[in-house]
Amino acid sequence: MSALTLDQVVDSVQDLPSLPAVVMELLGSIEQDDIDISVLAKKVSYDQALTAKTLRLANSSSFGLQVKVTTIQQAITYLGFQTTRNLITAAAVTGCFSSGRCPGFDDKAFWRHSIAVAACARALARRMRFNQDYAFTAGLLHDIGRLVLVTAAPQAYAEVVEWRLRHDGGWQDAECAVLGVDHVEAGVALAGHWNFSDTMRQAIAFHHAPDTPGAGFLAAIVHVANAIVHALDIAGEENERVPRVASVAWDAMGLNEEAYLHLFRETEVQFVEMSAVLMA
Amino acid sequence: MTSGMHLTPLTDARPGMTLSDVLLDDKGNVLLAQGVVLTETMLASLARHGIGALPILQAADTAPPIDPAAVQARLDHLFRGNNREDHADWATGILRRYVEDYRLQREVQP
Repeated sequence: MSALTLDQVVDSVQDLPSLPAVVMELLGSIEQDDIDISVLAKKVSYDQALTAKTLRLANSSSFGLQVKVTTIQQAITYLGFQTTRNLITAAAVTGCFSSGRCPGFDDKAFWRHSIAVAACARALARRMRFNQDYAFTAGLLHDIGRLVLVTAAPQAYAEVVEWRLRHDGGWQDAECAVLGVDHVEAGVALAGHWNFSDTMRQAIAFHHAPDTPGAGFLAAIVHVANAIVHALDIAGEENERVPRVASVAWDAMGLNEEAYLHLFRETEVQFVEMSAVLMA
Repeated sequence: MTSGMHLTPLTDARPGMTLSDVLLDDKGNVLLAQGVVLTETMLASLARHGIGALPILQAADTAPPIDPAAVQARLDHLFRGNNREDHADWATGILRRYVEDYRLQREVQP
């Protein structure tokens, strides 16, 4: 057993690669509408790789643009500030953790799952008339604590992967058994370090327990989107397993079967496009 | 992205296909959003609007035929944590049924 304390996790979070400063700023301001857009657009454009990835994502048909955008400022004009901010975040976060350090941990599968949950949560939010941009980002980052654990203790996490295979359990059980800390706690620690808004932190904290009082609607959306993506088998993992769906969260969606079937299709179609950009 | 796009004559469009792009009428009004899954009703209405062809996502009409037994086996594996008889776990049970209908392409009553 190689137990890890939450303090160690928090310490390791300090050593994690930090996001470009401008992305930190974007994340911190997700619920603020009064920040100066032109200044931000300019800051983002200094990072060429980030700009290129963001624009490719903006031009994918998932966002339904009739014209090709070629600058961040244009993307903001056509897609709106909130959506563009999301795309920048997605482009930055998916490139920020180094891969291949933990044997048995499939980081490609991790990102396939996260991108699909982002697409699904966004599509669900649209049907719920809930803010689609929060849903997208929360979906993308809901399991980010797993990357924190993998980065903090790659060897120990290999044991987690093995434990889970042996017991055919969930990640949380495996992490608690081997490390003594789970990805939800690690994700909340990272959310603090990366300046996530409270809404986003809540969604990460409660996406496995949306029936906790005060968990919030976003946690319920991410919870259902997570189960759907496991059920659609998108990550491509042999031992994929659908977690138990909390009835409170399912009830809160209030959708009929026809709506879900459309949602499944939309999730799959958007996943193909977004992953082509984000995992390139 | 145009690689997956494919202009299909309306007469060849079928319910269940997905629009790869937004569909506009000749005045530039949006008739259907990108990503919409076509239904019988929509196709009839498009005919009335004089739409001749649709941008259809190619993957939708070249989907390989499925092997129902293999699909069901995989779904049972994915949902191995769910017991169909456990009524307390009804939410997972409903998701399971919907995904089965989706994967096995069963006819669903709207």
